[in-house]
Amino acid sequence: MKQSYSQVRCFLLSLFVLLSLSLAGCWSSNEIEEVSLGVGLAFDKGMESKVERELREKGGGYPKKDLITTTFQIINPQASGAGTRGGGAAQQKPYLNVSETGDSVHQIVREFSLRTDRPFVSQHLKVIVFGEDLVRRISLEPLTDQMLRDNQIRPSSLILISKGRASETLETKKGGEVPAFRLHGIVDNQYRSTRIMPPMSLAKLEGKIQSGSSFMLQNVIAANREIKFAGAAVIKGRTNKLIGFLNETELEGIMWITGKGSKGGVVKSFDKQTEQLIVYEIKSMKSKITPRVNGSNISFDVNIESEGRLSEDWVESGDPFDNEFLKRAEKAAEEEVNRLVHHVTKKMQNEYITDVAGFGNQLRIEHPKLWEKVKADWDQIFSKVPIKYNVKLTITDYGTLGSKK
Amino acid sequence: MIARPEERITTPQAAVIVINYILGVTFLTLPRVTVEAVKTPDVWITVILGGLITMIAGVIMVKLSQRYPEKTFYQYSQEIAGKWVGGLLSLFTIIYFFSSSAYDARMLVEVTSYFLLEGTPSWALLMPFMWVGLYLIMGGINPIARLYEIIFPITLVIFTLVFFISFQIFEVDNLRPVLGLGVAPVLQGTKSTVLAYTGVEIMLIILAFMKQPNKAVQAVLIGTAVPMLFYVMTVVIVIGALSIDGVITRTWPTIDLIRSLEITGLLFERFESFFLVIWIMQIFSTFTITYYAAALGLAQLFQKDIHRCMFYLLPVIYIIAMTPKNINDLFTFADLVGDTALYLFGLLPLILLIVSRLKEGKHEAKL
Repeated sequence: MKQSYSQVRCFLLSLFVLLSLSLAGCWSSNEIEEVSLGVGLAFDKGMESKVERELREKGGGYPKKDLITTTFQIINPQASGAGTRGGGAAQQKPYLNVSETGDSVHQIVREFSLRTDRPFVSQHLKVIVFGEDLVRRISLEPLTDQMLRDNQIRPSSLILISKGRASETLETKKGGEVPAFRLHGIVDNQYRSTRIMPPMSLAKLEGKIQSGSSFMLQNVIAANREIKFAGAAVIKGRTNKLIGFLNETELEGIMWITGKGSKGGVVKSFDKQTEQLIVYEIKSMKSKITPRVNGSNISFDVNIESEGRLSEDWVESGDPFDNEFLKRAEKAAEEEVNRLVHHVTKKMQNEYITDVAGFGNQLRIEHPKLWEKVKADWDQIFSKVPIKYNVKLTITDYGTLGSKK
Repeated sequence: MIARPEERITTPQAAVIVINYILGVTFLTLPRVTVEAVKTPDVWITVILGGLITMIAGVIMVKLSQRYPEKTFYQYSQEIAGKWVGGLLSLFTIIYFFSSSAYDARMLVEVTSYFLLEGTPSWALLMPFMWVGLYLIMGGINPIARLYEIIFPITLVIFTLVFFISFQIFEVDNLRPVLGLGVAPVLQGTKSTVLAYTGVEIMLIILAFMKQPNKAVQAVLIGTAVPMLFYVMTVVIVIGALSIDGVITRTWPTIDLIRSLEITGLLFERFESFFLVIWIMQIFSTFTITYYAAALGLAQLFQKDIHRCMFYLLPVIYIIAMTPKNINDLFTFADLVGDTALYLFGLLPLILLIVSRLKEGKHEAKL
């Protein structure tokens, strides 16, 4: 009996020792300080960087076509750690950008492991920016293939297009700022502007690519290491390639048509009588696209309704206490919205011959059988379809400033 | 032989066993599989339809089992169809059960090794999983039922949480129009949704363990209705977020849904680990109940000790699990197992029920 007791003790002791060994770590663990945390990716038309050329001249390289240049934005752990302590390392940027050229998205990432001791980890990727030149040439479908297959890259990553080099949007002047986070953060400003599209994540992009319908992606431009969200890129559904851009006001027009713009945006218009400035702040925006089908004729009625506030008024005689004046202000704003939507409709129908405002989607919902017939060349049909707009804006209040002397 | 008092389960326990058995692998692939078959956003109607059909099949199985109180399918199938035919049917059922348990084990390896533990060898994932499963089923039906009672509420809470969060990327337009292309596409997908509910067949076996076998119909109805609710919510939200065009290309659409959102300011930003944890628990329950059913079948068919049968099955399941060479082989294997289930539990219980009624009629006539 005693012996068996000591046997048990021996067993427990060896178990203790063996199990302690497993505490040392997980099977395929990677220490967080020893990986490169990627937060942003930019894809551009292939253009070898200076370092790459020198490396190649010294014999580094493999058979490839220089189709794509990928720029990785990596968090620099030393600098960002020191930055929070407010130490002397403020000069150091909290991020690093590394470029690599090649023809396969995945191979480019792997090639990166030959150049640094910290392998690239993309589980915390926030933003993917595609350069205009690349997406004009190569369809988004092959470009996103690897990312949609991957188990690390999250389908929640935000997709943007850059008119110009995409890698430039991953630069900043400010000391402690990480450009990828800034891009990601601007999307949250939707409550302040109607010129920011609802975010398009990688997962949603896949649906758009597969659907064969044309769509838009937010465009971001860079100048002198500063960036701005500037309108949208138009992606043709059949080819999934970029065919052009809509500028800021055109995007605003689209947002009015779709009713997707959120409150907080403004409409700047001019009073008819005095030619003075009046600003309408949007409190709500609603839009209903109604397809009308008559035989083989398709037409659309769009009803846009909005409530808002008179938020700036340069008209000297303007008295918001007077309903007459409010009506005048409403009228001016309505005209401006009408101008916006008509302008962008013309551009979609005549210049791009592409429907990116979701008219086709409404037709699909209301007349699914007809849609099955027309969806193959919807963009063509759309370009000839009559569209009637009906804009109704209501000013409900005018803030804390009433009449003027 | 199984009437030991501690081997009894209550009606809610029976329902929970059915729920946990049904919810399993299909959870992750259901939106894709059904959209492939239906091709319109009406998938959720198909899912409800599949559930209703399964309920009918479940009630038939219960009615059959209720005619032979205290006996499992393995025992009464020989009474109905004779020693040889009945034995053969039991053998098929046993093979079905351990094949599907092998399939679950392999699926667990595939998903965890891609999303959670990349680099861990498959045997290292599979062996502990199987050993723990063995340990559980050695205790008999009662510990199994009690464990499932613990797992189920956890699943419910996390599932609901995750899906409410997913509403932020939900777009109702992706689910419209309803019945836009008529009823035909909806009916086309019924087979694939019925397969998602395989699991009610466990009533053929656990009815013998129930304290109140007369309430088995309730158990099977609730046991199917709850997964139906889960499934409808899954397809509605996954398709609402990713659209049918986006779902159809994804291998694991439900995981993608959860990976495609991030919540700031809710303590956790990402929820796929939680979701995969409840999924693994569900896989574990599917794995253990099928393993147990197979072992019980062997024990009753060949009059052997059930613990021995469990140990015999362990390597068999492992080898079957490791046989499919790639993920397509695995899906083909799943289709095979699913088709077997359709014939074995969709058609057969009805035939057996009729035969058993006729026999009884004859018997009475003779008297």
